[in-house]
Amino acid sequence: MVKRILAIIMLLIVGFWMANALSGVPFGEDKMLVGKYYLENVKEQTGAVNAVTAVVVNYRGFDTLGEVTVLFIASTGVGALLWRKKKERTAKSEGSVVLRTGSKILLPFIMLFGAYIFIHGHLTPGGGFPGGATIATAFLMLYLAFKDYEIEHKVFEPIEGLAGVGYVTVGLIGLAIGSYFLFDWIWQTWGWGHENIGRLLSAGFIPIIYTLIGIKVGTELTGIVDNMVREEVKDND
Amino acid sequence: MGEASKISRYLYTVIVLFVIWIFLTSSLDIQELEIGLVFSLVVGALTYSVFTESGLANFHPKRIIYGIAYIPYFLWAMLMANLDVAYRVLHPKRPINPGIVECETVLTNDVGKLVLANSITLTPGTITLDVRDGKYYIHWIDVKDASIEGASENITKPFEKFLKVIFP
Repeated sequence: MVKRILAIIMLLIVGFWMANALSGVPFGEDKMLVGKYYLENVKEQTGAVNAVTAVVVNYRGFDTLGEVTVLFIASTGVGALLWRKKKERTAKSEGSVVLRTGSKILLPFIMLFGAYIFIHGHLTPGGGFPGGATIATAFLMLYLAFKDYEIEHKVFEPIEGLAGVGYVTVGLIGLAIGSYFLFDWIWQTWGWGHENIGRLLSAGFIPIIYTLIGIKVGTELTGIVDNMVREEVKDND
Repeated sequence: MGEASKISRYLYTVIVLFVIWIFLTSSLDIQELEIGLVFSLVVGALTYSVFTESGLANFHPKRIIYGIAYIPYFLWAMLMANLDVAYRVLHPKRPINPGIVECETVLTNDVGKLVLANSITLTPGTITLDVRDGKYYIHWIDVKDASIEGASENITKPFEKFLKVIFP
């Protein structure tokens, strides 16, 4: 009996609290205050016509830096799990002439298409992550077609690191010029590209950051592919 | 044919990439063209050694004319093959005689072999299963002639007329 009374009192408290909270919401009006703010101010504040990209790279650039870090940790994890003292390609048979020639011819086109995706991130759907993944598929194709192909580790790993450092550097320059980390100094302080909204050279540092992300994701995913394809070689057999 | 000079191969790659860039962006905005040129130069520098062996020689007018003429020729062949296969599918007696035949080719260029293999696959009724040492293994919906010469006469010869000029 006491339990029931307690339950009823609890329900009344919760109901009162919820009714109180909802009473302030006017009927028939949307409450997307943040989304509305982005949509109304995106052009003046970031210069990007693609509002999604502006939110991802500009308003929430710190979050995107975290995503890049997540990918980096995933790549490091794959590298650590599959680490062996000596690894080599162990594929037995080479692809046919069709696969080999096709991958050779498509390589520059796929890389150009990846670059096209990441440089147009502020104008079209896409951006650094899909662009980088597209570039990585070009290398995946070379791995599939040639039995002894390997990326040049001495080139890929420094480029990957430099791209990551570049992203943080762009953010730190923003901190030095403006007031906060990842402040868009190109658009807001220098005012470059204000007459170009909707054209390629606009949107402040978004194309720069997306280029860095594209390079980083491309090299990183290629590194993951490389780690997975190569297998351990024992010295004594 | 030997390898062309590095400069010729690099220029050829950059030009091809730049044309592709214009098609991708479908815009003649000066900003797009500038960035496209930069990307073509960079991607070309990274990939020209893989992409081409003969370099600017690919722009020989005879090859370009034959290359353009090959497009309607191929589309016509594809149309006729489509109608042929549609006829075989719709015919109540289903007049098919499928099998795998071996064909030979006069092409020596790897790109030419690639285009020939894809042309054969894209025309309905024939599928390239494998290419090994200049021999094509083709699945054919209606084997008219199982000998190497006869099959080549029917399948690879019509395309080779053009391809041996485009890819010498």
